[in-house]
Amino acid sequence: MRYTTVIREISVLFNGQVMVVSNGTIVVQAVPIGGGMLPQNLTDSKIRSIMGVERTVPLLFLTSVSIGGAIQPVPGNFSIGIPVDRWSFIIGPTPLRGNAGHFPSNESSNEIVAGASLADEHGWIFGTRIVVNGYQLEIVGILDTRLALLNRCIIMPLKLAQQVYNYPESVNVVTVKPSQGYSQRNLAEMIKVNISYVNALTEDERNDMIQPVLSQIETWNLGLETAIFVLSLILVMTVTTMSVSERRRDFATLDAIGAPLGYVLKLVMVEAALIGVVGGALGLIFGSLGALTLASLYTNIPVAQFFPSIFEVVPPLYMSEMFLAVVAVCCLGGVVPAMSAARTRIAEVLRAEY
Amino acid sequence: MKIKAEELTRRFRVGSSEIVAVDRVNFEIDEPKFIAIVGRSGSGKSTLLNLIGLNDSPNFGKILIDDADTSLLSSSQRREIRLLRMGFVFQTFNLFPTLNALENVELPMALAGKPRDLQRKKATTLLEVVGLGNRLPHRPKQLSMGEMQRVAVARAMANNPEIIIADEPTGELDSGTAKEIITLLHDINKKDRKLVIMATHDERIIGIADAIYTIQDGRVRLD
Repeated sequence: MRYTTVIREISVLFNGQVMVVSNGTIVVQAVPIGGGMLPQNLTDSKIRSIMGVERTVPLLFLTSVSIGGAIQPVPGNFSIGIPVDRWSFIIGPTPLRGNAGHFPSNESSNEIVAGASLADEHGWIFGTRIVVNGYQLEIVGILDTRLALLNRCIIMPLKLAQQVYNYPESVNVVTVKPSQGYSQRNLAEMIKVNISYVNALTEDERNDMIQPVLSQIETWNLGLETAIFVLSLILVMTVTTMSVSERRRDFATLDAIGAPLGYVLKLVMVEAALIGVVGGALGLIFGSLGALTLASLYTNIPVAQFFPSIFEVVPPLYMSEMFLAVVAVCCLGGVVPAMSAARTRIAEVLRAEY
Repeated sequence: MKIKAEELTRRFRVGSSEIVAVDRVNFEIDEPKFIAIVGRSGSGKSTLLNLIGLNDSPNFGKILIDDADTSLLSSSQRREIRLLRMGFVFQTFNLFPTLNALENVELPMALAGKPRDLQRKKATTLLEVVGLGNRLPHRPKQLSMGEMQRVAVARAMANNPEIIIADEPTGELDSGTAKEIITLLHDINKKDRKLVIMATHDERIIGIADAIYTIQDGRVRLD
């Protein structure tokens, strides 16, 4: 369930705002996919004329853009054009790496900032010049951030983006912040009623759009978890049963000399729990390293950069839950062998031996 | 401890046939004697000892301990008798391989909840008595067969039981070591006043035992 939670968390990018896109655009959380463009000034002014609008930010938000002539869909990259007086809306207080460089000004005709992961992948540094769609652009800053989305972004002034990607006077997203006392739902309805060619999505609606996919993922997850649970249970039960049957004589001797039933049960259960403790600890270590490696491969962020944030990738609560689940499965798997051990009688063992 | 068997019968089903391992056995022992149960392999010696030691239950008849019918006891009461009033010595020693000699002897005391320092002190004394005072930290694998059986005898004595039940304790030993073990059990019977019931093939027992029960086809005869 962890990664579906992460997907849901992506919506924080436009948290508390209505996202306006053209009809037909699919929105996966904060990312618009497909659909058409919106006339920037017309749409912006129409939205502003609606009651309850505090602020609008027109954006050109493009996915998997061509860098150096090659389209690179995975790991994904994004290009965002944003009016420069509203940088903080997208990047917040994100600093530039090494405090070198600056954010492009409105007048700049070729200045951009790039996400750290994208920059590292292509060997870009402050001052590097790159070619996008035939335009020579200069990197004037590298975003120092751990946010996966920003790490894979090229951010430039909106005007420059419209020029580079050849969408003059067009945007594909307008985010709208409701005034105090106005709900996202009402504002979205008003926008849809007043502007026929747009779709306005509240935060909840954006979440709902992805919900069927997430539900399906969660169902698969549940199936996988059940299968792993049953397999682990069978495995632990088999290992413990083998261990018990190898020591049948010892358990029979314990019974013969009068060991209480609980003593034998406890002995086997503690062994099973120990398998869980050791297995759980090793599983967490190797599982976390595996998760980091996969995350690094997918996002192209170096493992070393991920490592300090291991508890963000695999949170301590999640680790504890997994650890306890493993120990619980092992204890459960130890019940039947423990009962079998406690029922071993010396008379039966001797009869079997002679 | 007074032990009485009344019409004690134990049958086993092997495939479609039934084997009567112990057949209507009656006896009464009320003194700390050295009792030998002799008979050929498969004659029912071990089955009889398992019944006396409350490790098995008869199909018919009963065992009375101090006139109390043991068939009426709960599983935990039977365990308690085995733990506190009986000591067991097996043909194959049945020591715990992961424990050393001292820990093997301490185990019954630990199960009985005796204090740790008492366990250590008594286990050390018992191992010294059986001549293994210098082998305390050795694991069973590091001991000879005779030494392992001595540890087993010390373990049987750990909770100061009233009866020692020994099932062919010399079966795996060479002649000299077997003699030592028989002497050891005989000493325990005479010096410590413990009832010793020993199943054996060993003919040397004839001159030592106070009573010899011969078992043949499950039937017992006092010689």
